[in-house]
This record gives sequence, C-alpha cells and structure tokens, in this order.
Amino acid sequence: MYTSLTNRREFIKKMAKLSAMAAAASMFPGIIFAEEQEAGIPADAKLDWKKGPCRFCGVGCGILVGTENGKAVAVKGDPKCEVNKGLLCVKGYHQTMCVQARDRLTHALVKKNGRYVKTPIDEALDLVASKMKETIEKHGKDSVAMYTSGQSTIPEGYVASKLMKGAIGTNNLECNARLCMASAVAGFLTTFGTDEPMGCYEDIDHADYFVTWGNNMAEMHPVLFSRMLEQKSTRGAKIIDFATRTSRSSGASDRSILFEPQTDLAVANAICYEIINNNWMNKSFVEKHCNFSKGLTNMGYGTEDKYKFSDKPEKVDFEAYKEFLKDYTPEKVAKYSKVSVKDIKYLAAIYGDPNKKVVSYWCMGVNQHTRGTWMNNLIYNMHLLTGKISQPGNGPFSLTGQPSACGTAREVGTFTHKLPKGVVMNEKHRRLAAKIWKVPYENIPSKPTYHTTEMFRAVDRGDIKFIWTQVTNPLVSLPKTSRYRPGMQKDSCFVVVSDVFPTPTSDVADVILPASWHIEKGGIYGNSERRTQYWDQMVEAPGEATPDAWMTIEIAKRMGFGELFPYTRENHVDEIYNEYRQFHEGVKHGMAPLDVLKKESGVIWPYVDGKSTQWRFNATYDPACDNGEDFHFYGKPDGRAIIWLRPFEPAAESPDDEYPFWLNTGRVVEHWHTGSMTRRIPVLHQAMPAAYVEFHPDDAKKLGVRNGEKIKVSSRRGSCILPASINERGLPTRGQVFVPFFDENMLINDVTLDAFCPISKEPDFKKCAVKVEKA
Amino acid sequence: MKKRLGIISFFVLILAGFIINWNYSYQKGLEEAYIPLIENPSGNYLSSERGVFRQATFEFNYSDMPVDPAHERTIKDYYKNRAYLGAPPSIPHPLLKGERGVGGTSCLQCHQNGGFVEKFKAYAPVTPHPEMVNCRQCHVAQNSTSLFKQVSVERINPPGVGKGANNALLGSPPMIPHGLQMRENCIACHAGPGAVKELRVSHPERINCRQCHLPKEMTGIPLDTTKILRQFDKLNE
Amino acid sequence: MPIKSYLAHPHDGKKEQLLQDLSIIQECEVLPAENRDILILVTDTKDDHSEVELEKKLKTIKSLKLLAMVSGFNSKQN
Repeated sequence: MYTSLTNRREFIKKMAKLSAMAAAASMFPGIIFAEEQEAGIPADAKLDWKKGPCRFCGVGCGILVGTENGKAVAVKGDPKCEVNKGLLCVKGYHQTMCVQARDRLTHALVKKNGRYVKTPIDEALDLVASKMKETIEKHGKDSVAMYTSGQSTIPEGYVASKLMKGAIGTNNLECNARLCMASAVAGFLTTFGTDEPMGCYEDIDHADYFVTWGNNMAEMHPVLFSRMLEQKSTRGAKIIDFATRTSRSSGASDRSILFEPQTDLAVANAICYEIINNNWMNKSFVEKHCNFSKGLTNMGYGTEDKYKFSDKPEKVDFEAYKEFLKDYTPEKVAKYSKVSVKDIKYLAAIYGDPNKKVVSYWCMGVNQHTRGTWMNNLIYNMHLLTGKISQPGNGPFSLTGQPSACGTAREVGTFTHKLPKGVVMNEKHRRLAAKIWKVPYENIPSKPTYHTTEMFRAVDRGDIKFIWTQVTNPLVSLPKTSRYRPGMQKDSCFVVVSDVFPTPTSDVADVILPASWHIEKGGIYGNSERRTQYWDQMVEAPGEATPDAWMTIEIAKRMGFGELFPYTRENHVDEIYNEYRQFHEGVKHGMAPLDVLKKESGVIWPYVDGKSTQWRFNATYDPACDNGEDFHFYGKPDGRAIIWLRPFEPAAESPDDEYPFWLNTGRVVEHWHTGSMTRRIPVLHQAMPAAYVEFHPDDAKKLGVRNGEKIKVSSRRGSCILPASINERGLPTRGQVFVPFFDENMLINDVTLDAFCPISKEPDFKKCAVKVEKA
Repeated sequence: MKKRLGIISFFVLILAGFIINWNYSYQKGLEEAYIPLIENPSGNYLSSERGVFRQATFEFNYSDMPVDPAHERTIKDYYKNRAYLGAPPSIPHPLLKGERGVGGTSCLQCHQNGGFVEKFKAYAPVTPHPEMVNCRQCHVAQNSTSLFKQVSVERINPPGVGKGANNALLGSPPMIPHGLQMRENCIACHAGPGAVKELRVSHPERINCRQCHLPKEMTGIPLDTTKILRQFDKLNE
Repeated sequence: MPIKSYLAHPHDGKKEQLLQDLSIIQECEVLPAENRDILILVTDTKDDHSEVELEKKLKTIKSLKLLAMVSGFNSKQN
C-alpha cells in the first residue's frame, strides 16, 4: 500500500483492475475484493489476526488485530467487512496503543481517609455489593442507580438490566446514550413506532444526493464520508452540507449552506412547504402509508428539577398540515434562519425531484437539540412526503455516535423506561422479560424513574445514595458539570467507577474498579445500520482488570442473586447472548445465531431465514411486511407512518447583551469523546494536544483576539479558559464560538446548559449563551 | 413622431435593462459580500484546513496520468535544491517569462496543475499553495554556482521514506513527518507525474488524507505528559 | 503490449474451479470477489498475436460461463 508505483506496466494493470472493480461494484453494490487491502504488513511478521469491530464510533468498522506473543502489535481494516471494506480512520488504526499507557488501572482502588488504597478485586467487589445492599435496606430500591454506556457490550448491558430491573427491581438504570441518541429513538418511535434506521450503508452506493444535517462526517464518521467521496468522484453524487459551522466536511462538499442555530426546524418545514407547493409530493405514497398528527407545543426546556412532560398526539388531516406550513414559506423562514430563499428552494428541489435519490444523514446536530425529537420527525416528513424512504439510495439515516448505542443502549435497553423488548410501562413486555429472566413478574416496576440529567440531579439532591458508572466518563461529558461534579463529590452518595483509565469521574469515586479494555475481553456490539458484531478475547488484561459484564455478575452473586446469573467466566458472552436472543425472536427483529456472528464480520438484523434485511418496511426486502402493499410501516398499529406538525420554537437560551455568543460543542477526528483512551495514544495526542475555542475572524477582529491567545469562555453556569483558534480546523458562523469537549484539562461542559428535549430528555450541547474575554 | 417614439422607447429599454442588471448584480454582490479574513498565524498549533481539497477535483484523473520513469524526480533531486529540511526550493531552471514574470502569468502556468514541459524535458511539480502568487518572494533562481566565501552549513537528516519509516504501529498508515503550513494540500506533492517518485501515494483517489494520516509532531504546545497521565501510584500506600 | 481487464462469471458452484483454471495461465492475474460469484481477470500479453491466442485459450475453459471485457490498454514498451 505504501510503495510508490514506479513501473508503468504495473500501474496500467492496477488501473485495469480498478476499472473492473468499479464495473463490478456498479453491477453488485456491496461487492468486496480482499486482496487490494492486504499489503502493508512485512511478510516476515508472524502475526495472528483476529476480527472484531472498532472500539470507537457508531460506524462500526471491521478491524483485524494482529497479535504477537500475547501483545497487540498491529491493526488493519477488515477487508471482508461490508462497512469499511478495509479502510479505517486514524483512531481506528492506532486504537490498541492506549492499553500501554503507564497509568492504566490494573487493580481496584478503595478510598480510605481521602487516599486511594490498592485492594484485591474480590475485596473491592465485596465492599461494593455490601454497600449496595445496605443502601437498599436503608433507603429503598430507588436509592441505588447504575449509569452505563453506548460503549458497553451487549452482554454488559444485558446483565446490568437484569440485575437492576429484574433482580433488584428498580428502573434506576440509564446510559450515556441518553446524551447522544435519545432524540433519534424518540423520533423513530413517534414517526414509525419502531426504533432504528430502515436503510443501511449500502444506500451510499446508490444515492445521487447526500444531505448532511448539522453533521461533520469528515471528522466524526470518516469512513462513511470516504465512501461518499468515492461515489462523488466515480458517479458524480453530490454532497450538501447544511450546518452552523464551516468544517472539513463543508470543504469537501459540493455545497455548504449555513444556518442560524435552532432554525433548522423552520428550514425543514420550509422544504416541506416547497414540496407541497410545487406538487412534488408523492400523493399515492402519502395517501396509502401516512397519517398526519400534531402534538403539544411550548413544552419548556426541562432546566428545572423534576420537570415532567408527556406529549398528547392528535390526529389531523392534510388540509390542517397545509395550513400549518403557511407560516413556513421560504421567504418568511429566510428572514430568521439566514438561509437564502434560493438555498431553501435548492434543498427543496433536491428532495422534490422524483428522479433523484436522496439520503439525509444526521447525528449530534439534530439529536442534541432542545427540540431534537421534532427535528428527527421533520426530516422524516421530507422523506415521507416524497416517498423517498426504505429503498436503496433513498432514505433518512440517523447516524449513531457510539459503537453500541444501537446494539446495547437501544436494543438491550439500558434506559430507565426500556426492557430488552419493549418498555416497562407495557405489561406484556414486563411479563416477557420476567419469563426469560426467571424472576417474579411483580419484580419489574412499571414506572420509569430518572433519565440521565435527572439522575445526576437526584445524586446532587441526595435522593440517590449509591451510583455505579461503567464504560463512561460523565464528569466530562454531562452538560453543566459545574453542578454535577460537586454533586457527585457529596458524602451523601457512594460512587463506584469502573474504567480502564483514571478520569475526572474516577477522581470522585469511593471505589475504582479496573476494567478490561475492548480486546482484553470478548463482546458484541451493534452499529448504526443494525449490524451485530461479535469478537473474541484477543489478549490478556493486565493485573486484576476484569470484564465489566463479569464484575456485574460478581456483584449480583454477592447480593444473593446467583441463581439468576448462572454464567461461566470463560463463556459468559456466548451464554448471555443466547439468553438475550430469545427477546427478539421473529421476523421484525430476529438476531443472527452465534455461529453466524462468529463467522461473519457482522450481520444486520432482522435476520430471517439466514438472510439479513437491508431495507425494512419495503416489501421487496423485508419479510415482515404483510399488508400486501409495496411498503408497510408495521411499527404502527394501522401500518402508517406519521407526518408530524412540528413548529419552530426558540432555543432554551439565546445570546443577549450580557452573553452575546452562541456556544457550540463537538468533537474532532483525532479524539474519541472525552479522550480518556485517545489522549493516551501518542500519535493522536500529539496531533491534537489540547482543546481550543474557535472564532469567526470578524468576531476575533472585533474583540482583538489573536490566534493562540488565552480566552475565558463563561456562561451563567461556569467558565473555562482555552486558547483561541481562528481559521484553523473550523469556522463557526459570526456570533458563534465552537469548543471540542475531549479535553479534561479544559472542561467546556462546566459552561454548557442542561436544557433537554422534553420528549426524548436528551440535552442540547450545541446551543447556549456565553461571553468571551481575554483571560 | 414614430421615429422619435422609437428612439425614446429604445433608450427607455436600455435604461430599464441597465437598472434590472444593476440591481441583479448588486443583489448578487450582497450575497457574496462576505469575505473571510485570514488571521496572522501566530501561536498556531493546529494545521489549517485551507486548500485541503483543492486538487480533489482531479482525483480520478490521477489514474490516467502517465508514469514516466525516464522523467521522474527522485528524492535525491528533491533535496538537491533545498537548503535545509522544509526550505523553499530554489528554481533549478532559467526563468521562462524573464525577471518580471509574476505568479499567474508565469510560474503558475506550469506549476498550478503540472504537466510535461518539453523545454526542460521534465514534469512540472505542482505547488500546494497556488494562491500565493508572489512566487519569487521565497523561490529564487540559481544564477551562479560559485560562492562568495566558503560556508559550513549543518544538514539535518531528512525523515525516512517508504515502508515502515513513519508509522506508529506495524502496518498502520504513516504519520506526516513534515509541517503542514502552506502544505495543506497533500495531493499536490504526493501524486501525479511531477511528484517525487518515492513520495507518490498508491491511492490518490482517497482525498480525505487526514482521516488516516496525522502530523507526527505538533509545534507550539509542547507535550506535557503529566497533564494526561494521572499519578495514582503516588497515592498508593 | 495489450493489457485488458474482464469480469469473469463462473458457472454455478464453479468459482473455485475457475479461479484455479485461470491462475495457472501465466498471462492472467485473477482477483476473486469475497461475497459474490464473480472474478476480476487482468490479462497481460506481449503482443497482439499472443493476445488472440490467449483469448482462444480462455474460451476453452469449462468453468467459465461469461467473460465481459471492461477495459483495454495497448501501450508501447518504454
């Protein structure tokens, strides 16, 4: 791969081969040729290659890890994986290097008199179990909580759910996917009645247009973006970047359209207005497969403790929808969205053209939004009105941030209201869970308790007396950490943190449990396109580091629930998966059996009769469709998807005289979330050593700010000092600053606001008001 | 009378046309009125994204470009006209447009997009920063081989080239061993017939280079490991 | 110096056989698809005459159902 091409004949042969590959790919999308990827490893290296998914993002690339003498020494893209076809990003290529960090947690640490004391793991687990039991006896079941992750494996999430909901009997189980995918889930459930995307990544090979909504894919989903770029250059597909910040993705796109924060709601409605006004609507599709509904408005923003909201959907007719859209003519919307009428019409024409296939992509820009559920609904509206959905190359596609946000958080259901199948509020779902878990049906409480933000508020208030976090670093990633850090430090709550490396969260722990990293344990992930991916343990963990699932099982045993967790340490991944699989039996969500998972790089569910279902709700591909029509949205009782009337409403906090800037936060290609892993990988840290605050050059000039100068960013909640960055990685719109959140030395989440979407309860990390001054 | 009316209406038409045209271009001008300013790069530690995808429109043309061993540059040639590592190369050929030729009308004729130059029997290397048109501010011609006085200049060894020279893990994509300022557009130097033979990539069609390849060392903020490594051991008893 | 590339379709279940049949021919380079029954064949012959000979030879392979040419180059030696 790295030798240059010097021989002309070889070069021509390569070109001949490439054109044949391109021809094959146009005939059989998704076709894979292995050999081209295999080079690059010295021939004399005797490496043992094992397959697995990448540890980092929701794209779910297949990796091959090369081990030698029990150590991981090389990583390459799995050429047999349909997701990435052998390509990775820089994080993926270097992921195994983090385990060599000198400050790796190898033993349990228990805080005694303000100091951490190395403790044998059995003793530490005894302490955690007794503390948990004692707290339940004294303060009731709802005084203990577990906070897990979209990076937990399926077995880890499953045993956590079984322990909390089945054995102990509390719904105090949440995960950090609430901070990233909750709005996507709520969007799917409200529009389609069933979670997760209908299409798959193969859409990229067919689409004519990619419209990305507030989504810097070149940095956050780089492998998918490279697949899009490939289609751009081979087939002339077009990428339209719709965002509030000029990013690397904007640079590579055919068109970059900028909008004022929060006005995406209005622009989406304006596009729908244009679609109807120009008669671009697919009438027969809408008549056959769609209903119209409206819900409550002026819902508030949840910034106050114990905020409650439940929507009251009301069916309306098409005329009411048309009337509703009259407020969203391109001319009216252009005034406050700062998107020109021309650009709105341009976007509408893309969606409206019946001969063009369009895929919409979005991730945190749409989800981390105080009206995130609405925004998800609105994107579905555009695709439903035009019938561009559930077909190869046509469809809305909600990207996930974390590697198993779909597989674990959403499918196993590690949210307070979820069960592995269905929700706790539904008696049928509770009965099924009780049956498979072999617990009394009454054990599972029917009321959800705390969503993430409220859970940490309850810790701060003293309502939760024991919290155990796994695979996550909330004191860097929560909004408004300026409140929740002191909250977790309070003596009223006993804090247990399981992690691979010390983090600002483990700094406040009473017990730190050492966890095995990714390839030091076996596991199963599920990526954005419903693909389930299995891997085996590849190397030994150092010291007493233990797989998270096994630590949960050990705690369960110590609390007297041993007979509910009859798994063996060596085989618990397989045993748990086989038990879990029973929840999803059937044509709508059937999961592949273990032997298939072990053989393939990954398998998309619903897996029916030995076949993956790539496009759900489309009768040609999905055996679950049984209404005799081309499409069947079987998540809803009448088989129809819902087009929602969702208005524009302002953000929870907008810039004013005192705090005149929008603050937007996000990520960079070099670092994964809070950086606890990637900052310990030298090549990544050296390329992106610290966070920064990005300015628009006009604002910088007005404030007299120069590149690299220390700037204090403060809000009503807290402040943070960072170096200024002008015209480097990104360019925010005027009146906006951007800060990446990976840096635990510069905690920007001390500044952010904990306002959330009332329906999904997902906080908005992208919009709050700040002031900036030289520090 | 008719004639006069005709003449008047003709001028009215022209006037109306002018007003419409003027308005249109005025509106157009308003739309694109905003020009981003580029700040002085003081204290930069992130490489800019400027021009990263500039050559990207050619990506597939690279596959049609000839490989011509007879007229290839080698890494040795490459360092021959550079005073030190990262120095701007001097101009190894007579100036075609003479001493007063500037940017777009002279050097960029060949160096913007490259191509074979019959006169020099060589492929013109492509510049990664064609927006900087005062070329000879940094690049000077070599008009003499003599020296005024003898000098002794220490030469640092250039970074390694080829398999395994710059990667962090076995078989992982090589890191970028040089600074990126004014060299943000990777493809300009790493693909095409004008590129140095040893530095050509096998996959110029993958244009999002920094998805896999990152700069090896960042200047500006020095790496302080105490900042990322938490010292729990000190606290242990 | 003709270089040509083809998509080779094997008869049902004969992919492995075809791979072998083609691999033993010196002028052929084969690249099988991992997940579909199709192979990429790149041929590299020294002149037009041997190209014709090779084509005749390819036609006799039993496991081969269909051979579709994708691209051809004829470059002078340099």
